[in-house]
Amino acid sequence: MQRALHSIWRFLNHRIVLRIVGLGLGGLFVYASYDKVTQPDRFADIVNDYQMLPLVFINAFALVMPWFEMVAGAALVLGLWRRAAGLILAALTVAFMVAIAQAEIRGLEIECGCFDVSGMSATQASWDLFVRDLGLLLASALIWRRA
Amino acid sequence: MAHATSEDTGAPPPAVSCPLICGPIALVRWFLPRFPHAARAALLLLSALLIAPIFNAANPLGMGWILTADGRVGIPRVYESRLPQITVEQAVALFDSGDALFVDSRDERDYHKDYIPGAINLPQRTWVEVWPAMQSQLPRDRTLVLYCYGGHCGLSTRQAKRLLAEGYHNFLILDRGWEGWTEAGNPTHRHPEGKER
Repeated sequence: MQRALHSIWRFLNHRIVLRIVGLGLGGLFVYASYDKVTQPDRFADIVNDYQMLPLVFINAFALVMPWFEMVAGAALVLGLWRRAAGLILAALTVAFMVAIAQAEIRGLEIECGCFDVSGMSATQASWDLFVRDLGLLLASALIWRRA
Repeated sequence: MAHATSEDTGAPPPAVSCPLICGPIALVRWFLPRFPHAARAALLLLSALLIAPIFNAANPLGMGWILTADGRVGIPRVYESRLPQITVEQAVALFDSGDALFVDSRDERDYHKDYIPGAINLPQRTWVEVWPAMQSQLPRDRTLVLYCYGGHCGLSTRQAKRLLAEGYHNFLILDRGWEGWTEAGNPTHRHPEGKER
């Protein structure tokens, strides 16, 4: 068992594997940010639904946060400051997980706003997404600590 | 060997401390070598903070950074004057005249408990599913009054943006929604028990 875990850990720390994980993770966040960047009004509506921020901060948050995703994701794809980008994406993912968890605990039936804010393929915030974000957090943390 | 001091030369003495400038510089010089990735992350975040306002100024759907004058969020600048709000009193006048069709943006289960008499339900949260069937029932030549749960529920405003995109322009948003309507003691239609979901 210990040898198997050690082999997996060595595999994950391989330079090429880290590069592929970085490319996938970065591309995913760039893709996720595109809708939010181009339609900030709809993203603001979704942020409002989460009922976590005072109204006065919602527009500013909706205008800035997607650019954090975009810049960090692009840095990862381009292979620039990968550990710094991994750190940002890990922090963002933790924030998303907190948002989803509090929405679930409070019983809010709201759109996730993860990849699509136009409502055309809206996904509900749910524990499934929390688990998916856990995977993204592990990938981001791997890039941050090992890339 | 004696050195000349500032008093000897008549030059002003050098500043002994500069907490406003030297403090942050010292902090950065201490921080950078110890936490290079955090410092780079801060630079990436800073670049995002610089790009965001530039893009927002150029984006047709860009919006104000704080709130609109009437305290709404998520309203693009170009839409501000095209998403008019009305008060409960104005809505009552429209209701009494019978000139307007009331559209309930709330969830179907809440509509099926009670609603403004004559209102049709266009639940915003399930827009994608309901819109194709509802499209033919929504007249373009009649004033629509959209309402949701309360003043800041946002569903009716969101629906108004959708309707604008669908080519509807003749609508008004009830500013305090269902809450304002019922608090003022205005009529509501309650479903018979059998129809309640």
